[in-house]
Amino acid sequence: MIYIIDHNDSFTHNVVHQFSLFDEVECDNYNNLNKKKLDKASVIVLSPGPGSPIDYPSTSNIYKKFKSKKKIIGVCLGFQQILFCEGAEIVEQKKIFHGFQSKIEVISNKSLFKKGKKFKVGRYHSLKLKEPFKNKDFEITMRCLTSKVAMSIENKKDKIYGFQFHPESFLTNNGNLLIKKILSA
Amino acid sequence: MNKQNQLTEINDSGKSYIIYKSKKGFDLYTNFSKKIILNSKNVSSFLSRRYKNKLKNTDLFIGFFGYELLNNLINIKIPKQKNINFPKGIFYKPETKISLGNNLNYKNNNNIKSKNNFKININRKLYTKIFDKFKKKIKVGQTYQIKICTKYKKKSKIDPLDFFCRLSKSNLAPEAFMIKDNDYSIISCSPENLITKHGSLISTKPIAGTVKKNQSMNKTKALNYFKKNIKETKEHNMIVDMERNDLSRICKVGSVKLSRTKVVEEYKDLFHYVTLIKGRLKKNVKNIDIIKAMMPGGSVIGCPKISTLNLLNKQEKENRNIYTGSFGYIKFNGDMRFNIIIRSILNFKNASEISVASGVVVDSNAQHEFSENYIKAKALIDLFK
Repeated sequence: MIYIIDHNDSFTHNVVHQFSLFDEVECDNYNNLNKKKLDKASVIVLSPGPGSPIDYPSTSNIYKKFKSKKKIIGVCLGFQQILFCEGAEIVEQKKIFHGFQSKIEVISNKSLFKKGKKFKVGRYHSLKLKEPFKNKDFEITMRCLTSKVAMSIENKKDKIYGFQFHPESFLTNNGNLLIKKILSA
Repeated sequence: MNKQNQLTEINDSGKSYIIYKSKKGFDLYTNFSKKIILNSKNVSSFLSRRYKNKLKNTDLFIGFFGYELLNNLINIKIPKQKNINFPKGIFYKPETKISLGNNLNYKNNNNIKSKNNFKININRKLYTKIFDKFKKKIKVGQTYQIKICTKYKKKSKIDPLDFFCRLSKSNLAPEAFMIKDNDYSIISCSPENLITKHGSLISTKPIAGTVKKNQSMNKTKALNYFKKNIKETKEHNMIVDMERNDLSRICKVGSVKLSRTKVVEEYKDLFHYVTLIKGRLKKNVKNIDIIKAMMPGGSVIGCPKISTLNLLNKQEKENRNIYTGSFGYIKFNGDMRFNIIIRSILNFKNASEISVASGVVVDSNAQHEFSENYIKAKALIDLFK
């Protein structure tokens, strides 16, 4: 079972539908989580949402508690949440991407995805990862072709994956395939 | 008796009635046997009640949900606001339905011209201040798009049918409606359908993007304009993903699909950029679940819905009443049709109010959006001349 933690976003149910294509999904609001479901889940997904990771301390706690025990996947705010918990700084960016379709590229040969592959994705983010970000377990695996902003992180050892873009958006090409691959990794 | 005479006769009889745009023309509903005034306490039971379907074309409730009631339904708090004590929602059970053509002819030669002008509740300076505040909220990611509402008001008595007929002649909008009751009236040329539900099929048709028609702007050029305009494209994309989300709450996995993506629809004076999204409802989803998932309609609020509603409600000093609520009907067999109430006049206690809103996204400009608001209101304000 996949447990999706909703941060009051207007895209969370697109995420729910996307993950439901592959497994049973449960979804609850971040301030109304169910301990039984959390324990039962094999995958925890941190949803997109407004604001910054610092606004959701309960989600940070869940991440820290289940890191390396369950597969964790973060989307947008969820991606930032993972990085924030790993000591990264999440900062405002000059150019803001809301409803923006960008071309991104797989830049690392440590990625589940083929290095050099380029595809279009949908973006909804005011904030971004401040770089340089160094962490021996985490690899930045995708970047925006034009702005070079980090678009995905992968941690194979602990099975943690995050996307700054929205795989569930209608603006993202092959988003379902992406999720399928992450889930079977 | 011909239908036009019938319309005049019903109007002159002093009965309450409702007119709603249909595919071929307009439907008029009257002889109301019930009138239900909704509040936050009775709305759930109203929506959960089941009725026997007698297969008559009047087996339905028709009316509206105001903005505040829709917030109440999804547990969003609205701080104390200036209020004219207009009901939060009203539904009627009609006993008569009459189909009318697209040409509504009615003229009132005794229209009372009032000399006083409309007053706006937020001037340019205050608007700019609010705008800059919301822009900061976008920069820190609390909202991605937010709509600032301005309200125009003036003391006036109006003849709603005369207003509605003139409005329909200049702008035949697919979700237009009017309500005439003893103590209030509403006239609207809403273009936007929020919910169409037939059996287990549901669709929504958000509009994001409008351009005025003129000699150099045809349908192909309008499409090019929208495609090239990054701001319009981004706003539209956001609304599409948000409406997909709202439908996904109540629809079967894998059934939510874009049926027509980013197409231009042509109206008398303007072009709209629209997307049609369809889905198949999950088993056991009730109408109240659908209304809570879809309303208030996202395209007139901003995104994400909850945090944006909270920002708006904290900012707004005056009750929105009908504006950005929904008008439509619920049939006894469960089918529904609802619009988003925009481009409307509410006349209550001899005062008329017109609300308009335009969007703040990161690259919008306060002066432009303020003027845009006025343009949207002008078509309605002109009816008073």
